Amino acid sequence: MYSKRIASGIIAAFIISAGLHAQEFKIGKYEVQAHGFGTQGYIKTNDNNWLTMQTSGSGSGVFTDAGFNLSSQFTNKFRVAAQVYSRKLGALGDWHPQLDWGIADYKVKPWLGFRGGKVKTVLGLYNDVQDLDFANTYALLPQSVYPIDMRDAMIAHEGGDIYGRAKLPRNLGAIAYDAYGGRRSDSMSSGYPYELKSSIAAYLTHYGGPVYGGDLRWNTPVKNLKLGMSRQNEQITAAGTYQGAPYAESSRHDWTNQYYGQYTANRWHAESEYKRYYRDQIVMSGTPAAFDVDQDIRGWYVGGGFTVNKWLEGGSYFSHYRDFFGGTLAGIITYADAATKDLAKVVTAKFTLNRFTTVKVEGHFMDGAPNEFYPAGFYAAENPQGLAPTTNAFVVRTGLSF
Amino acid sequence: MKKLLSLFLLVASASIFIVQAKAQVIVIANPSVKASDVSKNDLKDVFTGASTSLGGANVVPILLKAGTAHEEFLQAYIGKNDTSYRAGWRSLVFSGQGTMPKSLDTDSAVVEFVAHNAGAIGYIGKATPHEGVKVLGVK
Repeated sequence: MYSKRIASGIIAAFIISAGLHAQEFKIGKYEVQAHGFGTQGYIKTNDNNWLTMQTSGSGSGVFTDAGFNLSSQFTNKFRVAAQVYSRKLGALGDWHPQLDWGIADYKVKPWLGFRGGKVKTVLGLYNDVQDLDFANTYALLPQSVYPIDMRDAMIAHEGGDIYGRAKLPRNLGAIAYDAYGGRRSDSMSSGYPYELKSSIAAYLTHYGGPVYGGDLRWNTPVKNLKLGMSRQNEQITAAGTYQGAPYAESSRHDWTNQYYGQYTANRWHAESEYKRYYRDQIVMSGTPAAFDVDQDIRGWYVGGGFTVNKWLEGGSYFSHYRDFFGGTLAGIITYADAATKDLAKVVTAKFTLNRFTTVKVEGHFMDGAPNEFYPAGFYAAENPQGLAPTTNAFVVRTGLSF
Repeated sequence: MKKLLSLFLLVASASIFIVQAKAQVIVIANPSVKASDVSKNDLKDVFTGASTSLGGANVVPILLKAGTAHEEFLQAYIGKNDTSYRAGWRSLVFSGQGTMPKSLDTDSAVVEFVAHNAGAIGYIGKATPHEGVKVLGVK
């Protein structure tokens, strides 16, 4: 049944894409561009249910997202743009349309620009472009670094950025930088609130707080070799209820470091990233005692792709995720280092049907499963019988963009 | 030996043909653009959205929608096909980092637009008349 639906979806996407074009119209004397994108995916796993979907059994196609944006270049230096985004990923998203980002951008010089509003967060190679299926080789980016169920947590901040790009002397390449500050405010239909709800029946009403950070990337003198690093600091608070009593979280330390490199050569590209996310937080769950939770999450991947011809690209990555967890409850209980690991070997084929349409077919071979205290794709609510040690997944994803 | 010589001549002829094919597209700019030539890297930066300036002055890239000059330009100076080139621009658009450059239907429309808009830079087939614009040498 699902194979027929997948085939129908691909054909429909191809037909629709034939009539797609970016639209341009005028408001007063200003030209406005309209662009959009959408994807439809299907995932079938051999065992554990994945990404809050019922992926075992006959699989799940509750894997859809769409974005629509308008932008206008008022002058050579000043631009205004905004994007609305909506998604449904299993139990996440729930089609709640949200302002994905909306900015006013003033570029004084190539090496100095200002961007304010709700701004996409630059973090590593792909954080700000993770939804853009057409631009990436993989149907699912390495989940150790870009967990799709946690998209809402990292995607944007309300505040401002200073950014720019400058050539370095003596043919040392070019540097691009982005420094930002503002607030993060998570959707309540995102992965972390869902994890708390499904694992300990805590219901959040708020999750977010101040955030600041930066990204520095170097286009090296070695042609097409890019190296970079990102840093983000946060002060997160959460509020909600647990068994009828107030529930609260407050971070003492909350930071992310990410290091990355990418090389492209003719038809090849190769990339690797390492991400470390550390949080130390106090949890108040209706009792006078505070619960201290430490989480040290380390993920990395190595991947690459080869463009066979204009219709076909092949790719693969190896992804590794490890969560070092510890904590105390009223200073009495101390958890041992309960490290969990998750390895994933992934192979993918990306078919570009035309300028607007892509179809990706991907195999994931995962070894290991995460703990229950931080989301990593597998949730207690969809796996009440517990988790099997390995999971194989077949993923198909069709994308349209104009 | 003769076979080797034939192979060499074949490769040499093919190279000459490729060089000539690349030379069939020229880069043009509005006379307000001070630079008279541009490096291949700088040209690539401007046409991929990585940079918005040439020689310290703001420039605006203008594209052709399709055609021989468009394909030749992408192959010679950007190193991508049309689909992946436009995907790169759409990445900038959807992440809030840029606006898609204007794409025009014909070489003469590009000449017309570049001639009348300060900072505009485009590319056309060499045979297209191009009064009112300056031709940039690509180093």
